[in-house]
Amino acid sequence: MRHLLVLIVLCWASVAQAEAIKPAEVLQGAVVDVIRPNVLRFDSASRGLSSAMQALCAAPSAHGKAVAQRQFGLVVAAYGQIGFLRIGPMMEANRADRLLFWPDRRGIGLKQVQAILSSQDSAAVALAGLQSKSVAVQGLGALDYVLSGTGSEALTGPDGAYRCAYGMTIAANVAEIAGELVAGWFAPDGIADHLQMPKDSNSDYRSDVEALEALVGLVAHGLEAMRDQQLNPFIATAEAPAKPKQAPFWRSGQTMALLGGTIDGMRGLIGGSRIATAVPEKDKGLADSIDFEFRNALRAIDLVTLPVEQAVAEPKQAAALGYLALVTGSLQAMVGEQLSAALGLSVGFSALDGD
Amino acid sequence: MWQRRAFLKAAGAGFAASLMPRQALALEQSELVFASAVQTASGSYGAVLLGEAGDVIAQVALPDRGHDVTISAKAGRGVVFARQPGTFAVVFDPSGQAAPVTLTSPAGRHFYGHGVFSPDGKLLYATESDFEAAQGVVGIYDATDGYRRMGEFPTYGTGPHEMLLMPDGVTLVVANGGIETHPDFGRAELNLDTMDPSVVFIDRRDGTLVGQLRLDAGLHQLSIRHMAIDARGRVWFGCQYKGAPSDSPQLVGHASMEGEITLLELPAETLAGLRNYVGSVAASRDGATIAVSSPEGNLLVAIDAEGRRPVLVDSLRSGCGLAPDGSGFVASSGLGALVGLAGAEREARQFDFQFDNHLLRIS
Repeated sequence: MRHLLVLIVLCWASVAQAEAIKPAEVLQGAVVDVIRPNVLRFDSASRGLSSAMQALCAAPSAHGKAVAQRQFGLVVAAYGQIGFLRIGPMMEANRADRLLFWPDRRGIGLKQVQAILSSQDSAAVALAGLQSKSVAVQGLGALDYVLSGTGSEALTGPDGAYRCAYGMTIAANVAEIAGELVAGWFAPDGIADHLQMPKDSNSDYRSDVEALEALVGLVAHGLEAMRDQQLNPFIATAEAPAKPKQAPFWRSGQTMALLGGTIDGMRGLIGGSRIATAVPEKDKGLADSIDFEFRNALRAIDLVTLPVEQAVAEPKQAAALGYLALVTGSLQAMVGEQLSAALGLSVGFSALDGD
Repeated sequence: MWQRRAFLKAAGAGFAASLMPRQALALEQSELVFASAVQTASGSYGAVLLGEAGDVIAQVALPDRGHDVTISAKAGRGVVFARQPGTFAVVFDPSGQAAPVTLTSPAGRHFYGHGVFSPDGKLLYATESDFEAAQGVVGIYDATDGYRRMGEFPTYGTGPHEMLLMPDGVTLVVANGGIETHPDFGRAELNLDTMDPSVVFIDRRDGTLVGQLRLDAGLHQLSIRHMAIDARGRVWFGCQYKGAPSDSPQLVGHASMEGEITLLELPAETLAGLRNYVGSVAASRDGATIAVSSPEGNLLVAIDAEGRRPVLVDSLRSGCGLAPDGSGFVASSGLGALVGLAGAEREARQFDFQFDNHLLRIS
């Protein structure tokens, strides 16, 4: 009986070995099963927001405003799933900054948005006019202020006509950018093809290794960016108290939607591509370890139910935020160092670090 | 130039006794020594000194990730600077006689990973950030007094990166990358739309601005980061482009104290291989050849400084560190490789640690 069991285990192991996932399958999984669906979801949510803003502006009401705010939350979560995809169409035409100018240490965006609202700048309520303005007034950060910042109560009545029109134009701009991201990820001989079929003649990805490094890099650097730009700036440290107004989307209460969407998107990319299973036998446990940490991060995010201003002052929720920062560090090391090493890649050390 | 015999003499018997016999032998027989910040297989950070044969002669532990190393034979010390936005620099004795000393940047400042000694070894200059004001500064440290910070002067720009001492021994040249960062936001680049990179020449005696050179305004997102000085005293620089990846601007150029600044016209294929990212720049010992590396494009390019054209293009996965070697160069990689380039007769070596971006030739 024992011999039979050993035989079964050996057979299973050899089948598993024989079925080891190939780089092409990883890359196809990443593009087809994860990135494209998430970009489409962001596009759909953005078009929904654009129509909700049109409806609100046509007939201002508390209900219409609530619908727009809810749709804004969906867009933020969907943005989280694709905001870290800092390759391809996101990096062209300033789309990353136009979608979300963040971090904004000097509050430039806020000052510019307030100036537009107070002067009722006619250029900002026409799509082409808005697109010629500062990136900081074109995207989701500006819309957060329009929908939920000081003076947003005017959106429920005729006094908010200009504010609403500005918000509607921002939403149209976000939807247009989302459409461009879709076009970029579905373009023939574009980034999707280059990632899935790397070859020497590509200007971006010339080999499986380069394409896999890009994939791992998206998550490793995405985790760093999320922690350093979206989380650490507002949570308490040993030296300084919490600064909840440094949290992205604190006005609309969508901070955790952003963080949750981001973690969800990165977990999806690792899981959906099965990249963490494309490792030598000795590293096979890594896939489960990484997913375990992603789930820990999502659990921590779920614990933060209060608006961030209150969450940072509530011991359990503040602890969950601190834990989230730790987990993102651990995940960054697991993906950027352990997974990268297991795959024979160079990510997050010499290359791609901006030094 | 650090002379091996002088080094051994200065180091004395105490030094030799402090080394393992094998390491002492390696050092004695060594013609060359390289230094680099590294990450070990276990994930910890440090710096290593390598001999001609590739033996690790000494190691220095670091509290976090380092970046570049500078060394002074006169001071008898080397310094590893923290990668930005780190706040430490570790001063070590290459002879191993004195314990390393860790410096901390003052409140409101962090290091940018690069620095240089004065010719007499008495002063250490480090590129730093006054991050609240988003201004670069050169921190001045007294090597004769425990590396006490004596003061600072401005770099006349934001995001200073590499700094070199010009052949006159008086002028510092600083690459102001133009990118604003702030420790509250990690390494996030906060001003990509308003970047203003420049090459500046500064009189190190009083911090006065000797000259400041900028590329065309349309290239304001071309961050000037790393430099090397050729035989004619021209400062060659390598850039990292922060605009759209499809833009592919030229990335390598040279500047002079006479006020010239120009970009080289690299062939399209070579330029594409650099992937908008030059990670380090080095000059050959005779200053006739310049090498640039791109760890993103896994590419190394050697350029004839006089003819202003590439003479050799080679590939090295994650290759970034460059240092002169023989008539050519040696390159190091983020995957632990050390290889010869452009005529350097060096057998490729593979280490179990990862080299950081820069490789320094000590002697």
